[in-house]
Amino acid sequence: MPGSRRWWRPGRDEQRPREARRWTRIAVAVQGPPTVFLILRRMRAPLIVLISIFAVSVLGLTLIPGRDDAGQPTRMGFFDAFYFMSYTATTIGYGEIPHAFTGAQRLWVTAAIYLTVIGWAYAIGSLLTLLQDRAFRQALALQRFTRTVARLREPFLLIAGYGQTGRLLGRELDALGRRLVVIDTDAERVDALDIDAYRSDVPGLAGDARNPQTMEHAGLGHPYCEGVLALTDDDEVNLAVTMTAALVRPDLPVIARTVSPAVEHRMAAFGSPTVVNPFDRYGDHLRLALRAPASYQLMAWLESGPGAALPERAQPPRAGRWVLCGYGRFGRELTEDLHAEGLTVTAIDIQAVACAEPWVIPGDGSEPQVMAAADLAHAVGFVAGTDNDTTNLSLVAAARHINPGLFVASRQNRPETAPLFAAMRIDSLLVPAEVVAHEIYAQLSTPLLWRFLREMPALGDEWARTMVERLQRHCGRRLPGLWRTTLDASETPALARRLREGRATLGDLLRRPVDREQRLDIVPLLILRDGQVTLGPADDHVLQAGDQLLLAGQPPEQRALTDTLTIDSVSRYVLYGQRVPSSWIWRRLTRSNP
Amino acid sequence: MSLEKVIFGFFVLLAATLNFGFFIGDLADPKLHNEYELFAAVVVNLIATVLKFGDRTQIGAVHLATSLVADLQLIAATLAWTWATQVSADGLDGESMAAVVSLSGGALLANIVSVVLLVIETVSFQRR
Repeated sequence: MPGSRRWWRPGRDEQRPREARRWTRIAVAVQGPPTVFLILRRMRAPLIVLISIFAVSVLGLTLIPGRDDAGQPTRMGFFDAFYFMSYTATTIGYGEIPHAFTGAQRLWVTAAIYLTVIGWAYAIGSLLTLLQDRAFRQALALQRFTRTVARLREPFLLIAGYGQTGRLLGRELDALGRRLVVIDTDAERVDALDIDAYRSDVPGLAGDARNPQTMEHAGLGHPYCEGVLALTDDDEVNLAVTMTAALVRPDLPVIARTVSPAVEHRMAAFGSPTVVNPFDRYGDHLRLALRAPASYQLMAWLESGPGAALPERAQPPRAGRWVLCGYGRFGRELTEDLHAEGLTVTAIDIQAVACAEPWVIPGDGSEPQVMAAADLAHAVGFVAGTDNDTTNLSLVAAARHINPGLFVASRQNRPETAPLFAAMRIDSLLVPAEVVAHEIYAQLSTPLLWRFLREMPALGDEWARTMVERLQRHCGRRLPGLWRTTLDASETPALARRLREGRATLGDLLRRPVDREQRLDIVPLLILRDGQVTLGPADDHVLQAGDQLLLAGQPPEQRALTDTLTIDSVSRYVLYGQRVPSSWIWRRLTRSNP
Repeated sequence: MSLEKVIFGFFVLLAATLNFGFFIGDLADPKLHNEYELFAAVVVNLIATVLKFGDRTQIGAVHLATSLVADLQLIAATLAWTWATQVSADGLDGESMAAVVSLSGGALLANIVSVVLLVIETVSFQRR
């Protein structure tokens, strides 16, 4: 019968892409040892001891002569003996059956009771030890994790490394409703997953992400795996994760973090991973902040995720000399960026050799004479960029002491020191973990936001200033939700006619369903049409079918707009000002044909 | 020589021989079938089963399966025997004895398969 083999219908939530319906397996024996085998193996000796003790006791009882109630010699049958031993060994004890025991029988039973108690104690003790055993618990955890991952039926992201960055990003992505699977070498961090307030269940495994098998357990080959994020603070691990993902699943997008350009180069050799270098990105951000403070402010705000407060608009000095403490990877990146902006730089580094670049002063930044050589009094900006937070804080304090008017930037390495840096009122703070998390968030949340952030700086500072003001006026000082809408039959069914007429403007759409004279507090950020983007479109922008919109607004406003886009009677009122009944019968009765 | 292999072979073989000893003789004659032998067969079979626990190879899995079958058959035989001696009004007559012995015959078949597997395993084992 044709078609009879497909008697089932895929569910409505079937979102799996067609080409990836099957698991991609990397190794033959990828499954961990089934825990039941482990139990059976360990329980062999105790069980055999128990069986033997039972057998000996029962056999003895049947062999020892007894006496029945009439005083005639008799022997106990196997069944009675087994029954007696069963209730005696389990300490239930119904007494002596079928007849009162003779002395010889009691002697044997006494010995049997002690033997069986030892047997039970040994068996139960072994079982409890097994349950406490670390290897056993790990095997159980791995099995549970593998099963949970295998049962995922919606797209999920595989995160390797659940440190500061992973946690920040995990929370933001979870707020967007994305599913995550986490691997980290540190068991404590994985345990913290249970405590962290996630909306959805996040399976976590303590394991080495460098091991392809661990990645396999975490669902690298899973048909619903939609991307891999390598976020550990070890460049080599990140490289290994990138490699594994690129070799096993070349179709998956990979985002990796690194602070070393060399590793970045090696990563690029495997497919086309998106590499995020926090130092490099911070340099770019600082350049943007130098050129267009408002653009930078807008970018930082949108990248921070829903609910973030509007950041202060930093005003780094655009001319003059900067002093940099710490000339490592970060210092070099930043110096290049500052030079590119036409600023002069004096760098201080304890490990710098004298013959290096002319602007480098070798020495310890915390020594007064070295600071004096840098001539802070005539500098405009100061960057404390060492990898030690205590040093950075003391450097900032020393620099402020010499020149209170300095623009101060600093690098914060550890999350615990955040309150100290906040108390110092640093003008521009680099937190590598946050830079990476925000960058990846912007790329993953919606592709339109990423597009917006890339195109936005070109429009200039003035445009960004207006946009920030608009967002603030409509949505308040906390970043509202950003969402994407495609104007097509499935997402905006109520709009089809208006779109065909070619008269739908953005302003019409954003009228309030309660009172169409009012406008919804929604700011359109971007319209994408045939690959062309319009940033911050005006209200008279004419919409077409197929347009993709990136909008910002509070959740109630979003719901109101969704009503307009999907409910026919609402859209009739909003777009045309006609009040039509919403039920089919009333529409028939009033004969208001659409 | 490994002690583990000796013990394993011993119990597998002993299970089969005890089973055979109980089974042999006229099916319906209670005099020819010793209840102690049946008891010993059940105990040795249980021990052989536990010894086969936790082996993850293919042949180990089949070993365990045959042992489980033998256990099932022998326990059914003891239950039939218990019923006949304790519950049934007729006592251990020819009919019920035939049921007990034929059930143990099934267990014997499983035990023979077990022994055959043991032999195959031994023959195919090559020390490198």
